[in-house]
Amino acid sequence: MIAVIAEQLQTGAFWHPLAFVCLAAGALISGLLVVLSRNILHSALWLLPCLVSVAGLFLLLGAEALAAIQILVYCGGIVVLILFAVMLTRGIGDPDVRATNQQLAWGFIGAAGLAGVVLHLLSREAWPVASRANLGDVTGRLADALLTPYVLAFEVASVILLVAMIGAIVIARGEPQ
Amino acid sequence: MGGSFQLYLIPGLPLAAFLVIAAFALRPGRDRAAPFVLIGALAGSLWLAIQALGEAAGRAPLWLALPWLSVGGLTFEVGAWVDGLSGVMLVVVALVSLLVQVYSIGYMRGEIGYGRYFAYMSLFSGSMLGLVISDNIVQTYIFWELVGICSYLLIGFWYRRPAAAAAAKKAFVVTRFGDLGFLTAVLILSFHRPAVFGFHQLAQMVEVGAISGGTVTAVALLVFSGAVGKSAQFPLHIWLPDAMEGPTPVSALIHAATMVAAGVYLVARAFFFFAAAPAALFVVALIGALTLFLGATMGAAENDIKRVLAYSTISQLGFMMLALGVGGYTAGVFHLTTHAFFKALLFLTAGSVIHAVHTNDMWHMGGLGRRMPITAATCLVGALALAGIFPLSGFWSKDEILAAVWSSRMPGHWAFFGLALGGVVLTAFYMFRLWFVAFTGEPRTEEAKAAHESPWVMTGPLVLFAAAAAAAGALKWRVPWTSGGFADVLGVHAGQETASTAVMALALVGALGGIAVAWAAYRANLVSSAAFNARVPAVRLLLRNAWYLNRAWELFATRVVIAGSAAAAWFDRHVVNGMVDGVAWMCGRASRRLRLAQTGQVQFYALVFIVGLIVGLVVVFGREESLLALLVGRP
Amino acid sequence: MSPAPPIPIQGYLVVSALLFSIGLVGVLARRNAIAVLLGVELMLNAANLNFVAFWRYGGGARMEGQVFAIVVITVAAAEAAIALAIVLNVYRRFRTVNVDQINLMKG
Repeated sequence: MIAVIAEQLQTGAFWHPLAFVCLAAGALISGLLVVLSRNILHSALWLLPCLVSVAGLFLLLGAEALAAIQILVYCGGIVVLILFAVMLTRGIGDPDVRATNQQLAWGFIGAAGLAGVVLHLLSREAWPVASRANLGDVTGRLADALLTPYVLAFEVASVILLVAMIGAIVIARGEPQ
Repeated sequence: MGGSFQLYLIPGLPLAAFLVIAAFALRPGRDRAAPFVLIGALAGSLWLAIQALGEAAGRAPLWLALPWLSVGGLTFEVGAWVDGLSGVMLVVVALVSLLVQVYSIGYMRGEIGYGRYFAYMSLFSGSMLGLVISDNIVQTYIFWELVGICSYLLIGFWYRRPAAAAAAKKAFVVTRFGDLGFLTAVLILSFHRPAVFGFHQLAQMVEVGAISGGTVTAVALLVFSGAVGKSAQFPLHIWLPDAMEGPTPVSALIHAATMVAAGVYLVARAFFFFAAAPAALFVVALIGALTLFLGATMGAAENDIKRVLAYSTISQLGFMMLALGVGGYTAGVFHLTTHAFFKALLFLTAGSVIHAVHTNDMWHMGGLGRRMPITAATCLVGALALAGIFPLSGFWSKDEILAAVWSSRMPGHWAFFGLALGGVVLTAFYMFRLWFVAFTGEPRTEEAKAAHESPWVMTGPLVLFAAAAAAAGALKWRVPWTSGGFADVLGVHAGQETASTAVMALALVGALGGIAVAWAAYRANLVSSAAFNARVPAVRLLLRNAWYLNRAWELFATRVVIAGSAAAAWFDRHVVNGMVDGVAWMCGRASRRLRLAQTGQVQFYALVFIVGLIVGLVVVFGREESLLALLVGRP
Repeated sequence: MSPAPPIPIQGYLVVSALLFSIGLVGVLARRNAIAVLLGVELMLNAANLNFVAFWRYGGGARMEGQVFAIVVITVAAAEAAIALAIVLNVYRRFRTVNVDQINLMKG
């Protein structure tokens, strides 16, 4: 049954675009809310639907393992971490403090400009799209890729995580009492 | 010997002696050997100089030039050139130096700084020989400055005496004025294209007219200005009388026989410039005549025997310049040679007297003739030679000068002749005034009564010099180690000044007249100087104050020079410094503005980053091209 | 199951670009340091979306797209940990997490 749904979603001429539009809108709107919320806690919480939507988009694209990883790591790990930090750095209630700084207008203009340029460049490009008859075992192929040609990247990534863990402990420990 | 490396040894040996003495023989225990090192070196130089003279006189000159430095289109060489002129000078300088150093052993015995004295003397001897033997004007200038430094060091030898230190400074500063002119001449020559410094080449260039007339005159006058300083001509003569603060052998060697002669030598060496610039020649003759006369007048009014001799030197150098100015090249150089002998002799006898009586004032002497017979006799020989009495050397050389002036075609030469003749009379007068007052009559002080003759180290050179002073007239016809007379050695073909007997007689009469007046006033007491001064007080006033020339220079220095320096200092402080400070101030202002870009706000930096990124994207990808093609390289 | 999906690739690219820009606004204009970090996370996600889209529309045979996306997630996690540790330190030192109040490097 899940397979049927999945197939419909992935290739159905109606359901696929619908799913795409919903997930895209979800990502963009919750992203906006992340950025524009006055309350930092709300901002952090709105990140969750955004990340889940992106995971959904990964599913639509057929990267199932990656979607799972996204949810586990991002939503489950990073967002929790952020929430901890938010809790630990709550000020003693600053009511009138602004959420945005002086650069708001310029920030908008800059981001809009970048978006405009990028979109323009993207639009006039003729993307050489290819398609494959059968995607096959994506996860298996991903595992093969990680452990054979890209094993170095894989190992280095794990070292990075170790280093980051130690580093975070050291930095967050503060002055020894 | 040819143009060989041995030529470099002539100045090289005394310079090496300097290094040896300075390294090993300055301590009081070890300085006994110092004079002998120098004497050995000078003996070597003398021997080499004699050889060189013998080879070069009347024939092709010995020449050796090695390239030294080549920069910016200018080439400098280290060169030695021995022809008749420099050969004779080398022998004279080496010989006089040698004898003076022997004398110094006795004179400087027991002095503190004995070693230092001989070190400076050796540096001086080497520098003077180097100056004479130079083949190009830049090298001459270098040695010129070196002898100037040695003069400073030796005048101020007893540096703890304020008068000596002041005299040394005065000598250096006054000659500086002249040296500046000399340096300017060298600089002018360096701008000429092609830049040539060798005397030989310069002479050729002047002869073919490769240098413009104005340049030649300018160079000649500027070179002469250097000579005016070094040879104590008017108006830069004021340093020489004060230079008598130095030890007497220094006065004898440097300020009588050699260094002051360097100016005359330079004019002779660079004579081709003057020969092509009649205006410059006139200036030379004029200054020479003025100096001659003024020096003699001032010498007649001095009571310090060394200062009398100093003014005498000034006056005699004026004679030489006058001779060169009117074209009497041989006469001028001949007088240079004879003067070296008898003036050194006179200074050394003065030193002998001072050593015995411990004073320079002639009125504290008297009756020394009986007590110091050798000194008195040799001094008499020197005095007669200076006065120009037949048949001593001075007669011949002075006579040639007078003949040259008389027969020259320079406008105003009759005025010069009158001044020269007056100078002859005055010379005899002041010299014998000195001799009569010091050596005859009764001793005027206790020291004078107790005086005794100097040791043979001192009287030996006196006798030798006296012999030279007496006999050097013979050089006119025959120079030892060569095959001709003085004119032949110099390469000048005689026949210019035929000595007219009238002139000779006139000069002799004049000299004898001067001696007579001196005898009358100071020996026989027939005429009283006090009475004379009462009748014509202006004379005494002018002469005792050296024609107020020192005062004039003092005013110039304080008013003009210092005012000029104050202006220059203001300019330096406010304009030059101001420009530098201005740059710094501008930097400060600009940076204070520019610093504002460093807001410390990291998001501002990020914004700038994004803007840059956008611009970059537009620039790189703006044209109608495929993104993929640019990024990946596929068409 | 795989003819090319009915959505042209530009769809995903547009979403990615927009998401990136939204995150950029957060980075540039929010005062709270953690909010800036949230913006960075958005930008990283947009990049990941791009990578996976190209993987899929490039045929799905070569796995580089996904591998890189995994690496990006890894690095994002590490970076979030460190960044938040730093934010904690800053909070202890300056008693604030407002980025524009921390300008010791001014001038």
